[in-house]
Order: sequence, then structure tokens, then C-alpha cells
Amino acid sequence: MNRRTLLGALAGAAVTVPALSACSSGITSLDSQGTTSGGGGSSKGGVTIGTANFTENQVLGYLYAAALEAAGVRTTVRPNLGTREILIPALKGGDIDVLPEYQGALLHYLAPKATATEEGEMQNALAVALPAGLQVLPYGMAEDSDAFVVTRGTARKYGLTSLADLRKQNGELVVGAAPEVKKRQVGVVGLKDVYGVEFKEFKSLDSSGPLVKGALKKGDVDVANLFTTDTDIQANDWVVLSDPKNLIPGQHVVPLIADRKADSTVRKALARLGDVLTTAHLTELNRQVDKDKKDPEDVANTYAKQHGLAN
Amino acid sequence: MTVDWSWISGHTDDLTTLTLSHLQAALTAVLLGLLISLPLAVVAHRVRPLRGFLLGLSNILFTIPSIAVFVLLLPISGLTRTTTVIGLTIYTLVVLLRNTVEGLDSVPARTKEAARAMGTRPLRTLLTVELPLALPVIMAGVRIATVMSISLVSVATYIGDGGLGQLFTDGFQRNYPTPVIVGVLLTLLSAVAADALLVALQYVLTPWKRRRA
Amino acid sequence: MYELLTNLGSWLTGTAQWSGSDGIANRLAEHLQYSLLATLIATAIGLPLGLLIGHTGRGAFLAINLASFGRALPTVGLVVLVFLASGLSMWPVYIALVALAVPAIVTNTYAGMTAVDPDVKDAARGQGMRAHQVLLQVELPLALPLIMTGLRLALIQVVATATIAAYVSFGGLGRYVFDGLAQRDLVQVLGGAVLVAAVAVVLDLALSGLQRFLFRHRTA
Repeated sequence: MNRRTLLGALAGAAVTVPALSACSSGITSLDSQGTTSGGGGSSKGGVTIGTANFTENQVLGYLYAAALEAAGVRTTVRPNLGTREILIPALKGGDIDVLPEYQGALLHYLAPKATATEEGEMQNALAVALPAGLQVLPYGMAEDSDAFVVTRGTARKYGLTSLADLRKQNGELVVGAAPEVKKRQVGVVGLKDVYGVEFKEFKSLDSSGPLVKGALKKGDVDVANLFTTDTDIQANDWVVLSDPKNLIPGQHVVPLIADRKADSTVRKALARLGDVLTTAHLTELNRQVDKDKKDPEDVANTYAKQHGLAN
Repeated sequence: MTVDWSWISGHTDDLTTLTLSHLQAALTAVLLGLLISLPLAVVAHRVRPLRGFLLGLSNILFTIPSIAVFVLLLPISGLTRTTTVIGLTIYTLVVLLRNTVEGLDSVPARTKEAARAMGTRPLRTLLTVELPLALPVIMAGVRIATVMSISLVSVATYIGDGGLGQLFTDGFQRNYPTPVIVGVLLTLLSAVAADALLVALQYVLTPWKRRRA
Repeated sequence: MYELLTNLGSWLTGTAQWSGSDGIANRLAEHLQYSLLATLIATAIGLPLGLLIGHTGRGAFLAINLASFGRALPTVGLVVLVFLASGLSMWPVYIALVALAVPAIVTNTYAGMTAVDPDVKDAARGQGMRAHQVLLQVELPLALPLIMTGLRLALIQVVATATIAAYVSFGGLGRYVFDGLAQRDLVQVLGGAVLVAAVAVVLDLALSGLQRFLFRHRTA
């Protein structure tokens, strides 16, 4: 250890310490940091695709990557980043550029009181509701909706066929879902708002993953929030409660992208993917990943090749 | 629970990338921790009133759950490797600070006095006498910090980073033990290898200990 | 920054916050339950092991390097692995916490035992005490300060790590951190973190105080 090393250490510290203590404004919100270019964006520098913390979103992320790579866009996929609550600020801030989203879910996340139910209406409503710098590209055919599910036994016991029926058991039933669902309109908040449903307890589990499905099987929860493309619903003969008041709007897969990267190449490539990928396809891809233990990336690339989206 | 060997052979590239990414995060955190803790430790060692404060503060920091630290850094540095490294550095800093202060404390007062009597200035004494003598204890701290850091990287998987930790999330979501088992083993192996390298480094850096009296 | 702190203040003090299954009182109780039980189990395993190694001198390599190994074990990986093996139960949580605590207890117990002056042990043997009597009546009491330090360190570490229960759907203060992450509710995350740190610090101070009191007459 000589003098030079020590001075280097002090210089390093002098740089790092102020940076760490720059805890100024914006600690509770990640807004106002993304600059927005009014004009079109460009995907020339490469596109980073972020995905949420459940397997289907990874499949979608890699599908987007396959489609974009085939169109000559360099892509990086960052899997399993977290929930929408975390991803949207990351999108605005530039850590990611694109995110596979779900129309109705995204709309009700941004505007809980939105009334649009038809896909075209929702697309327009989204354009209004999205913060500056973000836009949605045309939505695809495939759809994956939130569902509130009970076991066949529970359905029989309490006579449950629709979400409205849950009100009869107010204060009695335990609901299980990913933690963020507790605060969402397409979630516990909306169930109270629209159907007047109140649960005995909310258990924080995961997004149609092993925790929530395990809990439903075990009986730790009576009602579980799952996703409609999850083949376990059918496999376990679980009952999806119907939604007469349209709390859960259509949730077509729609790319959410930062303006700075939205150019015609990206638009075209993802629109092609959207026109090809059906709900049945997506469900099957999910099954291959979850049950056959294939990699989301491999499954996506194979699909892209098979359907002429890539060579 | 069985291991799917075909998964392992089919993922050697990914595993290499993840391991390297994992180690990069851990080692950067240790280096940054050293850079910050050394001057801080000297201050804590020499300035009595600050010593209690700095050591006490670092003890409290150590009790904050690592996942909370990563999440709280998100508004500052976003979903990036920087967040992971800053978070890890907080913990390496605590370990290194403690050990470096302890190391400096262990240098006999008489040795320092002898140096001063010879006319050596304080900075030179620090660099040529105190720090070398404190080295064994400091190195013990570096070893602890490195091993701990390698283990902690995987917690960052909850903010989308995490190196080998991503294997844990993957295995968990798909009910697939193989990636998890491989991830645990690779983490352990990396830690053991890093520890061994540091022991060798310490041996090289302390020649006076090798000479038989 | 100021806003975050004032929000934290109201989060920690709101009366609604403290009641119910997701209330601070309940989460605190759960967290303490996981921590204390795990440390107890770890002591039941680690203390005899450390005493044995210290007394016989065999297996010293294990005692010294176990701490390193324990530190290297990724808790997340261990929790997930046990979860995949045993499903929705507390096993992943307790196995991971015990695995974390045992090394600290073994290492410190061993250190305490080796710190005992060999002359004292010789004297005891010279007096006719048999092996187990030397262990229980001479070595153990002398090693007690370091053993207690090991228990204290283990407990603090376990308290700080018991947040992992939330990874596999259970409660404790980790629930606030995990839910806060999902909901991007930083006040909740900070609240959880502050509470964990507070519990750890309080326990640390209390146990150190107890140690000082118990061994107030000892010189070294």
C-alpha cells in the first residue's frame, strides 16, 4: 500500500459518497426523469425488453425479441424484473424500452374509473391515460385475463358462479393473490367498488404461480387470482367466477413502449406477431415452459420460426 | 427431487454468463467497500468520538434486510446493476470497516511510538507500519465480506438482477429443482474458490510471517 | 425525502396499522416467533456440537470453516429448494434460518472452549474429575461468555434474515418489505426495514446488557 493507492482510494470515496447522499427529491416517485421526444423514436441503438415476474410475460418478451431480431433490431431481454408498479417507472426512466402488457389491466391500473370496455375504446383511453413518453402499439389477438377462481368444492358449498355471488359470503372468505392485487382496481379494490365484496383476509402470494395455486389446493385460500392462460385451472377442475359487471375488461396482449424507441420497424414487427399469436398458442407455449420445463427463449424462437416470424 | 442433467449440459453458456455476472457484482462491491472503508476506518481509529458513532451506525445498517436495501435504492438508481452493487457495498462496507478498525487497533502502541520517535510522519506511519501490520485482520475482513457478498447477490433477483439468483426465481416459478440446485452449488463453489484465492493472496502479501524466526 | 419520513412516521403510528392480521403487532409477533424458534433449534444443534469439538479437539477444521460455509450459503436458494421439496409449509423458513444460525453458534462455542486455560482443565483432571465433569463443571462455565456472544450474534442474524418467510407466502416483518416491493409502496418497505432493524438492535442491546451483568465479576 503506497501513497498513490491511498490517494486513489480517497478520490474514489470523494466521488462515491456525494453520489450516495444525493437523496434529493423524487425518492417516493420515479417521475419527471424521462425526457420525451415529441417526434418518432428510433430502435437503431437496440431495444431492451423488460418482463414481469411470471412465466407468460417472459414467453411474450422472448417472442417480441424474436420478432424484432428478425426485423433487424438488436434486442436484449431482461426477465423477471417485477410487477407493473416497478416496471412502468423503469420504462419511463429508460432502464427498459418495451414491456408486454395487457390492455384492460393496464388501463385500469392507470385509470381505475375508466369505463371503456371495447378494445378500440380501450386503446384510445390508454393513449390518454398513459404518462408522457409512453405509448401502446396495436394490440394482438392473444388475450390473458385475470380470473378469480375457486375449487369445485367451494363453488358447490357456497353456490358460487359469479363474482356477484361472493358478496353473500362477505367477511367469510380468504382471497389469495399477488401482493399488488390488494391495491388494484382489477383486484381487491375493484371487487369492493363494483361488487361490494369484502374478504375475511387477503393473503399475499404470487401471480398465478406455485404459491397461489398451492394455497388454493391446500385450502389456505378460498378464492385465488389466476390467469386465464394457466392450464392448471382446467387440470384441477377449478371454477372461474363469471364477471357480469365487467370489472375485468378484455386483456389483449399489447406492447407498451417508450416513445424514444417506437419506430416503424418495431411497430410492424410487433404488429405481425400480434396478428399471428392466438390465445391458444400462448396457452400452449406457457404449458411447454411450465410443465415441459422448456426455456421461454427456446419456446419463443421455435414458435417464431414455425410461424414465419423469423428464419 | 431429481437433477435433470440434460438441463445442465444444455445451459453451460448461460451458467457461465450468470456466474461471471454474479462474481462481477460481488467483487465490485468488495472493492468499493474497501475503497470507502479504509479512509473511514483510519478516521474511526484516530478520532475517538467518531469511532463509536461510525461503528454503531454500521452495526445498525447491518441489521437492515438486504432486500429492503435493494428496493429502497430503486428510485435512486433504477433497475440496474448499479443498484445491486450499491446495495451490496453497504454490507461489505460494514464488515470491512469493523475489521479494519480492529486491525488498526491491534497494532502495538509501542511500534507506532517507535516510528514516531524516528521522525516518521503520521501518514507515512499509517501506510508503511500500521496498515501492513493490520493486514491479517483486514484480510480476514476481506474474506468475510467476499463470501458474504457472493451469497447476497442472489437476493437481487427480486429486483431483476441477481446473477445466479435468477436460477432460483426460475426454478421457483416453474417448480423445477434443477436450476435451483445448480445455482446453490455454483454459488457455494464460487465462494469457496474466492476464499481460497484470498488466503493465497494474504500469504503473498505478508512475507514477514513466512520467515522462520 | 422529508415526505418519505413523515409518511413513515404516520405509517408506524397509525392505530389501524397495528391491528389485524397484517397489522404491525401481528407481524412483529410472527417475526419474533420465527426468529426465537429458529435460534432455539440452532442452539440445540450447534451448542452440543461446538462443545464436543471444543472438548475433544477433533473436528476443529469443521468448527473453523463452518462459519465460512454458512456465510456462503445463499438463503434465497435454500428457501426455494426446500419449498420445492416440501411445498407450502414453514420448513423452508426454519431450515434456512437454522442453517444460518448453527455456524455462528458452533464457531463461537468452539472459540469459547479453546479459550479455556489448559492448566485449569489439567487441575480439574488432577483432582479426579472425569471427562464429562470437566466439560460441564469447568469448561462450559468458563466458555460461557463467548458462547453467549455466539448465541446473541446468531439471534441478531436470524432476526435480520427472517424476512425470507415472506418469500414463500408467510408473515413476519418481511411481509411489509415484499408487499411494498410488489406495490411499489416505499413507505411500507422502509417501515418493514426500520422495524426489523429496531428489533435486532433492541435484542442486541438487551442481550449485551445481560451478558455484561452476568459476567460482571469476571476479569477477562
